[in-house]
Amino acid sequence: MAIWGGVAFALSLAMMPLGLGALQEDEQLGKVTYDRWCSECHGVDGDGTGSAAGYMLPRPRDFTLAMYNIRTTASGDLPTDQDLLRAINMGAPGTAMPAWDDVLTEAEKQALVQYLKTFSRFFPLDENPVPLVLGSPTGVSEEVIAEGRGQYEAIECWKCHGDQGRGDGESAATLMDDTGFPIAAADLTENWFFNGGADVEDIYRALRTGLDGSPMPNFSDVLNAGVMTDEELWAVAHYVRSLAPEDTPGISEVVLAKLLTEGAELATSFDDQAWEEIEGTYIPLVGQIIVKPRWFDPRVDGVWVKAMHNGDDISVLVSWSDPNNSPDPLWSDWKSQVTRIMEPREAADNEIDAAPDQLVVQFPMQMPEGMERPYFLKGDSRRPVYLWEWKSDRQTALEGEARGVGTESFQDEGQDVSVKGMHSDGQWQVVFTRPLLTSDENDLDFITGEAIPMSFFAWDGDNGESGNQGSLSSWYFLLLEEPTSTKVYVAPPIAMLIAGALGFFIVRRVQKREMESFRS
Amino acid sequence: MRKHFSGPLGKSVVILGVAYLLLEFGIAYIPPLFGVDSGPIPDSVLLQYMVTVAIGILLWVSFNETLWEEFKAPLHAAMVEPRQRRTRVALIVLVPVLVGLMTFNSVRPSIAAPPSLRSIHPAPPGQIDFQGRSMELAGVENPLRSVGSPEEHYLEGRRVYYQNCLPCHGDGLAGRGHYAQGFNPGPASFQDVGTIAQLTESYVFWRVAKGGPGLPNEGAPWNSAMPAWEDFLTEDEIWSVILFMYEQAGHEPRTWEEEGEEH
Amino acid sequence: MFVLGKNEKLISVTLLATLVVVGCGGGDSSDSAGSSSAASEATVMENPVDPSTAGNISGSVAFEGSAPAMDAIDMSGEQVCADKHSTAPMLQTVVVNDNGTLSNVFVYVKEGSAIEGMQFPTPSAALLDQDGCVYTPHVMGVMVDQEITIRNSDGLLHNINASPTEQRGFNTSQPFNMETSQDFGTPEVMVPLRCDVHGWMTAFVGVVNHPYHSVSDGSGGFSLSTLPEGDYVVEAWHEQYGTQAQTVTVTAGGTTDITFTFSADMANAVVPMRTPIDPHDHPLVTDHQ
Repeated sequence: MAIWGGVAFALSLAMMPLGLGALQEDEQLGKVTYDRWCSECHGVDGDGTGSAAGYMLPRPRDFTLAMYNIRTTASGDLPTDQDLLRAINMGAPGTAMPAWDDVLTEAEKQALVQYLKTFSRFFPLDENPVPLVLGSPTGVSEEVIAEGRGQYEAIECWKCHGDQGRGDGESAATLMDDTGFPIAAADLTENWFFNGGADVEDIYRALRTGLDGSPMPNFSDVLNAGVMTDEELWAVAHYVRSLAPEDTPGISEVVLAKLLTEGAELATSFDDQAWEEIEGTYIPLVGQIIVKPRWFDPRVDGVWVKAMHNGDDISVLVSWSDPNNSPDPLWSDWKSQVTRIMEPREAADNEIDAAPDQLVVQFPMQMPEGMERPYFLKGDSRRPVYLWEWKSDRQTALEGEARGVGTESFQDEGQDVSVKGMHSDGQWQVVFTRPLLTSDENDLDFITGEAIPMSFFAWDGDNGESGNQGSLSSWYFLLLEEPTSTKVYVAPPIAMLIAGALGFFIVRRVQKREMESFRS
Repeated sequence: MRKHFSGPLGKSVVILGVAYLLLEFGIAYIPPLFGVDSGPIPDSVLLQYMVTVAIGILLWVSFNETLWEEFKAPLHAAMVEPRQRRTRVALIVLVPVLVGLMTFNSVRPSIAAPPSLRSIHPAPPGQIDFQGRSMELAGVENPLRSVGSPEEHYLEGRRVYYQNCLPCHGDGLAGRGHYAQGFNPGPASFQDVGTIAQLTESYVFWRVAKGGPGLPNEGAPWNSAMPAWEDFLTEDEIWSVILFMYEQAGHEPRTWEEEGEEH
Repeated sequence: MFVLGKNEKLISVTLLATLVVVGCGGGDSSDSAGSSSAASEATVMENPVDPSTAGNISGSVAFEGSAPAMDAIDMSGEQVCADKHSTAPMLQTVVVNDNGTLSNVFVYVKEGSAIEGMQFPTPSAALLDQDGCVYTPHVMGVMVDQEITIRNSDGLLHNINASPTEQRGFNTSQPFNMETSQDFGTPEVMVPLRCDVHGWMTAFVGVVNHPYHSVSDGSGGFSLSTLPEGDYVVEAWHEQYGTQAQTVTVTAGGTTDITFTFSADMANAVVPMRTPIDPHDHPLVTDHQ
C-alpha cells in the first residue's frame, strides 16, 4: 500500500540536492500522499472540487479556505496540527471522509498535515494556534440532564436541531454552509454520525469552538459575556449526549416479534404503551446506488424496528428521523438545491413533482427453501418479493409484489395490511398490522419460529427522493417468537435425571467391585 | 494443592482448561499480528478443537499401563474412598446440573439468523455477453496495460473508482466506505490478499461488469449489492478502474500462466 | 528523519519579522476620540490630515428604471420580532427611496495617492444591532481594527456568521440580550454577515484602512469628508447591482459633488465578494447508456 508513496518518496529524496532541508522532504511526501489518497475528492489544488465531490454532501473540505469544522481552537482561528491529524485519523463520521488511522503511516500523516496547510494563504502562522482550555466534563446526573434540557431551550438549540434533537428545527430547512451548499442540522439522536466524535467532550468542544464553515456557532462568547456559566454549557453537552443511545447500536440481523401473553392487546398504533416494553432493533440504510438513477444523498440513514404478534396478527413499528412531513413548501428550496447539486444526474426530473415520504417493507413472496433469498433489490423473476408500501400522503398501506426493480405492482383492493403513521418532532412512526395468515396466495404467510427475510426502503420526498432515488437496507430477518415449547421445561430435568442415575449407578458399581476385590 | 495437578488426571484437566482459554479468548489475537482481520472462533469450531484436544489427552494417558493406572487412580479414589465422600456427592450433584444446563442451552429458543454460505470466488464463465456483444474472458489480460500511458489509465481509473466504487469499497480500498455498514455481505476489501490479489484481471472484469445479479445460480452470496457496472461504465472505464485497484492496493494481478499451472 | 520543529521555526521567524514590520508602522500621537480597549491603551494617533488643505466629496446614488418589488420576510415563526415591526418587514436587498435614489450603497475611496501610506486613528466602536430580526444597519463601513459592537436587542437566539475571504471569519451565538465585540484586521469590501437561524438576516461590512467611506442613506446621499486634496478613485458597491467607480478631484476647502447611477437592468451584475461555488465545477462521469 505504501509502495507507491515509498518509491516516489525515495525518488524525490534521491533527486533532491543535498541540504535543501526537511521542508522539501516533507512536502514531497505530503504531496505524494495527498495526490494519491486525497485529491480525487478534495481536488489536486485542495479546493474541494475533486471528481468525486459532486457525489457527496457535505462536499469535501475546501482547504484553500482553511475553514475546519473540528478544532480545539476558537471560532475563526486556524486549527492546530493536532486537530488536522485527528481529522485524518478519525475521519468525519456521517460524511464520506473515512478514518485514515490504519491506512497511512505516521510519517505520511504528519507530512499530509503540513501539506494541507500549503493550500491556504492563512498558513503558515507566526505562532501556533492556541487550543481553548476546555476542562474536563462535569459529573452527570438526572438533575444535570434536566438542567441541560432547560439550557437547550433557553439558548434555543432547538431552532435548528429541533425540540427532540432530530435536526428538525424551523431553521433547518434554510441552513447553508459557507460555500453555499445546503447542510442538515445534526440529528442529535444519532451521535455515531457526529463528525467530531460522539462523546460528551466532543459535544462540549463543538459548543465552545463552533463548527466553522457550518451554521453551528460557538458559545464561548456567551460564556465570556457572562450570560451563561461553564457548568450550564456542560449540562447542555450532557443533555445532547443523553438524546442518543448510551451505546452505538450494534447491527443485529434479527428483529424479534415478541409473542404477547394471553389477553394482552396487540398494538396497532404508534402511541401504544405496549411498544415501550419492546427493545428496538437498529437497521442502517444507505443510498440506492445499484441501479439508475442512483442517489448519493439519502436522508434516511437508519430505521428502528419493533415487532409483536399475538398468534393471529402481527404489528411492526418502524420509526426513523426525517425533519418534516413531505411535501412541505418550507423545504421546497432545499429540495430544488439538493436535486440540482447531486451527481450523477441520472434522473429525468425529480425536481418537479412534490413527493411524499415513503416506506416500503419487503419480504420474500414465499419463504425460501434453503438459504437463497430473493435478490434484495425487489427480487427477480425467479424469486419475487412481497411488499408493504406506506406513503405520507395516503391513509392506507398497499400490499404489492415485484419481480425486479420497476416491476412493482400493488393490489387495488382487499388489503390485508393496515397502517398508522404519524410525524412528530422530526420522526416518522409507522405501524403496519396484518393477520399472520391471509387468503391471498401472493401474500407471505408469517410462520412463528422461522427467520423471515425482511428489508426496508425509505424516501424523504423533500430531500428530492422518489422512485429509485432513496435509501435501502439489505436483508434482515423477522422472527416471530414461538410459545415456549414444553420440551424446554421437560428435556433438561430428564437429562439431569439420567445423568444423575448413571453417575449413581457407576459409583455404586465401582464401590461394589472394590468391596468384592477387597473381600477376595 | 500442588499434588492435585501433578498426576496425569490433574495435568489433563489443566491442559483442557488452558486449551479452552486459548481457543476462546487467545486465538483471535494472532491474525492481527500479521495484519489480517480477525474475530472470535465460532462455537462449533471450538467444540471440534476441544474434542481433538481431549482425544489427544486420552491417547497420551493410555500410552502405557502405569500412566493409565495413575490417571484412573484419583477417579477411582473419588468413587470409593470413604474419606472422599464429599467429593463424591459433589460430583454426583454437579455433573447432572451441568448436563441439565447444556441441554437447556440446546433446546431453548434462539433468535439467531440462519447461516448463510459464501462461495467466495465462483468459477467464471469463459465468455460473457458484455453490453450486448460477446466477449472472451479466458486468457484475456487487461488491454490497457499494453496501450497508452499507464499514468493516464491510473488517473482515469481513479476517477471512475471515486465516483462509483468509493461509497462501499472505501478510499482505502479496504471495503470500509461510508455505505459499507448498509450491506450484508459487506463490500470486498481489495487490500485483502484473498480478493483481487489472487484473481486474474479478466475475472475481476467479469465481477465488475456483471455484479451481484450476474453471479451464477450456485454462487453465493445471493445478496451481493455489487451493481452490474456494464450499465454504467464503458469497457475501457472498467479496465482502467481495475488497473487502478491493483496499483492503489499494491497487488499484482494473477496471470494466466499461474492459472494454467493450477489446472 | 521527520523534522517538524525545524520547519516551524523557520516559518515563524520569517513571519514574526514581517509582523513586527507591519505592526510597528503605527502612529505616534494621541487622539481624544474615545476608541476602545486595545487602541486606547496603545499610543493613540492624531488624524494626519491637515483640515486647512482638505476638501470633501458628497453626492447621491441615483436609480434608473422601475424599482423591483421588495420581498416580504415571513417572521411568523418569531412573533417577538414580528411585533417589533409596524409595517411588514421587507428584505433589504434593493431599497429604492421615495426620491428615486438607492439606499445601502457602500461608497468608499478605493485609490488615492494623497492618502496612500497614511495612518489614521481607529474610530470608536461601530454598532451593529439585531432588532426585530433584522440587522441595523444592513450595510455598514468600518476601518481596519475598528471594533464592531454586535448587539442582540431581541433576546432570542441569533448567530452572527461572518464569512470574509481576505481574513478569518467568526460564527458566534447570541442567545440572549447581549453584546459581542469583533473587528476585522484586513481591508475587505465586503464582508458578508448572516444569521443562520433566520435565513433572511444578512448584512455587509465594508472594511477599509482609512475613514473615507459612507453608506447611501434614505435619500440616497453620502459624504466623504476631510480628504487631502488630490485625485481619488471612488467606488460604489451594491449587493445586487455590483460596483462602479469614478475618478474625483478634491480641492482644498471645496466640496466635489458626484453621482453614481445604478439601474434596474444591472440586476445580474457580478458583485465582488466571495464568488459562489459552481456546484458542478468538477469533471462529470459520462453517461453511456
